[in-house]
Amino acid sequence: MVNFAALMRDHWVNIFVPLGFVIGIYMDSAQDQKLTAFRNKSALYSRELKPGGEVTWK
Amino acid sequence: MNPYVLTILLSSLGLGTILTFASSHWLLAWMGLEINTLAIIPIMAQQSHPRAIEATTKYFLTQATAAAMILFASTTNAWLVGEWEIHQLSHPLATTTVMLALALKLGLAPVHFWLPEVLQGLELTTGLILSTWQKLAPFALMIQVAPTINSSLLIAMGLLSTLVGGWGGLNQTQLRKILAYSSIAHLGWMVLILQYAPSLTLLSLFLYIIMTSSAFLTLKTNNSLTINTLATSWTKSPTLAALTALVLLSLGGLPPLSGFMPKWLILQELTKQGLPLSATLAAMTALLSLYFYLRLCYAMTLTIYPNTLTATAPWRLNFTLITLPLSIITILALGLLPLTPAVTTLLTL
Amino acid sequence: MLKILIPTLMLFPTIWFSPAKWLWTTSIAQSLVIALASLSWLKWSSETGWSSSNLYLATDPLSTPLLVLTCWLLPLMVLASQNHISPEPLNRQRTYISLLVSLQMFLILAFGATEIIMFYIMFEATLLPTLIIITRWGNQTERLNAGTYFLFYTLAGSLPLLVALLLLQNDSGTLSMFTLQYTQPMHLLTWGNKLWWAACLLAFLVKMPVYGVHLWLPKAHVEAPIAGSMILAAVLLKLGGYGMMRMMVMLDPLTKELAYPFIVLALWGIIMTGSICLRQTDLKSLIAYSSVGHMGLVAGGILIQTPWGFTGAIILMIAHGLASSALFCLANTSYERTHSRTMLLARGMQMILPLMTTWWFVASLANLALPPLPNLMGELMIITSMFNWSHWTLLLTGLGTLITASYSLYLFLMTQRGPLPSHIIALEPTHTREHLLITLHLIPIILLILKPELMWGWCF
Repeated sequence: MVNFAALMRDHWVNIFVPLGFVIGIYMDSAQDQKLTAFRNKSALYSRELKPGGEVTWK
Repeated sequence: MNPYVLTILLSSLGLGTILTFASSHWLLAWMGLEINTLAIIPIMAQQSHPRAIEATTKYFLTQATAAAMILFASTTNAWLVGEWEIHQLSHPLATTTVMLALALKLGLAPVHFWLPEVLQGLELTTGLILSTWQKLAPFALMIQVAPTINSSLLIAMGLLSTLVGGWGGLNQTQLRKILAYSSIAHLGWMVLILQYAPSLTLLSLFLYIIMTSSAFLTLKTNNSLTINTLATSWTKSPTLAALTALVLLSLGGLPPLSGFMPKWLILQELTKQGLPLSATLAAMTALLSLYFYLRLCYAMTLTIYPNTLTATAPWRLNFTLITLPLSIITILALGLLPLTPAVTTLLTL
Repeated sequence: MLKILIPTLMLFPTIWFSPAKWLWTTSIAQSLVIALASLSWLKWSSETGWSSSNLYLATDPLSTPLLVLTCWLLPLMVLASQNHISPEPLNRQRTYISLLVSLQMFLILAFGATEIIMFYIMFEATLLPTLIIITRWGNQTERLNAGTYFLFYTLAGSLPLLVALLLLQNDSGTLSMFTLQYTQPMHLLTWGNKLWWAACLLAFLVKMPVYGVHLWLPKAHVEAPIAGSMILAAVLLKLGGYGMMRMMVMLDPLTKELAYPFIVLALWGIIMTGSICLRQTDLKSLIAYSSVGHMGLVAGGILIQTPWGFTGAIILMIAHGLASSALFCLANTSYERTHSRTMLLARGMQMILPLMTTWWFVASLANLALPPLPNLMGELMIITSMFNWSHWTLLLTGLGTLITASYSLYLFLMTQRGPLPSHIIALEPTHTREHLLITLHLIPIILLILKPELMWGWCF
């Protein structure tokens, strides 16, 4: 904007918390993948996915 | 001290302990203990003023008595049972005598009376050696004879030590005596669990060595021997003052610092073995020692300027101590609690 | 869960690398971002009781409101401390804010824990930053005594809890909250079992605090700086309530008989602490004793184990957290100007700070449980369920409500109304920061009138 270099120099610390947020969301979804790896894959208890849904646990 | 003499003495100190570690015959173990005692006597008496000589004499007399008792117990066992192996100590007279002798060597209650006075007469570095290195050899022997010792004796000594360590330290203002009573209390915890999970004894010993080393090295850095001089340490090194408060609370066993790990695991093992009352009693006595650790925290860190000025600021001179070991040990003394699952797995090895 | 925890951890480098000019602004802004993100926990889309889970942490309708309260409180604490910490050296300011952030981290781990030992360790871990905040940044000599009382009362209660939890792990093989709720009720017949029951609850009763073991609270609240008082009143006391509600699941059926003395103590505490409040001269001490009274009602509601009791307890915990924290902030604005907590010395403030009087008015009304605020919702549910449990409790709770109303009104009239004393000259006008602080406390209370389902818990 006004002076991008000055903005960066003064406010670069503000990148930490959003970065943590992104890392946190990524790690949460990785954990969800791990814990639901066998969801809806049983021969007896699986079901057809509803129209518009790609997972059964959302 | 002449560097050659110091080298000989320190290597003899190491040799004695290693000899005891490596021995399977009681005579060799006794010899290692004696070499240990003889090597540390000149180190203690370096300063040659009457207080240091008094401490050295008391240390020599108690350790010699203990070593003689060990010799007596092992020969009795050899006469009655026919075995010189360390872990084959089976006669009850021999096992009880050896336990009392090792308690005297370490400074467990009720034979702890020498430890505060001896530690008070020493310099901080020698005190560090006494509190950490000198505990290793007796523990090596104790772990080997643990299964045959009368369990009521062990529990009684353990609980009494935690009580005495807590109560005795409450009235002290000299830092070395406070650390001596803290040593007695921690030794009590280590001995409580000896028969049920010797690996926890070793873990507790290891963590105690780390925390006490951090405390002693901090005191050496600040060159402070009483609570009043401790109050000026924030001027010399503010970071160290802040971290030492945490190390002291870790010695007191507060989560989330690493001092909580041995207490937690020991309480877990005691409850599994059906001793919940001993567990509760030991846990409550930890509160006694926490009180004097907290008082040290107050004096050192939590009353610094601009709130209350408890002492005048001294001259700040360069450190003559290498600070790398201090920093590593302090970090270890504070941050090891998340490793508990790994430690529990490793302990079953 | 991690999407709030890792940003909280990232606040540490943010604080330590911020330039001095932007330290406070950055911390407040970033913690507000985290607080807003934490509101996402309130969206309940799970089919089971627990959601947002990973192997060690999860949220359920009981812990979610408390977690959101914790995350909401951090920017408020930093905002409140800005004035009195600014004169200190820069690294000390950073240490202070880091202590507050570490408290938030431990509290998130405590409320989100699914294994009871992890809850215990985090419960104890919150003592450490609070102790440092009280004893280092408090203002009078009595703060050392306050820190000692705080640490030792709480630890003396929680060490038996540790042994009790380890015994429970022995018997049931697990301490995971997921599975413990489905175990068979235990046969708890011997005197040893009864001691075990008491050991499980004692730590939380001391933390709440219930009347007989409450001595640490007035000391700690009075001597703590404003951020310490806020976090103590708003969240740390609720840790006790939360722990009790978690432990109640496995303490049946002993609770039916054994809870009597504690319920009696809690209810009697409301009367006693209310009466003490009417005679208090110290402003913060009055608010502290009022906390004891309200939490006594919460303890009573939890101990009778009825759905309305539990629901009322959670609602009262959240509402009291916000209202009590608001009152402490208001007391702090008065303290920063006159450097005295004596009510006699700083009275009649409406004459000079009329806008602040509005906030004092709303906060006092919240404290005395005026409808339609959620404070009344919680109190009424607890009183009703206790009346159902035993008709005689209505005497104590009704009298308690009356006394609460009296001292809240006394607090308001004493500090705001009446003639302005002649020694009060040249006080600073109210800062915008202070207005913002109280607004951020009171707006959630008012908004919760419209949708209390957010904090009802799982019993309704």
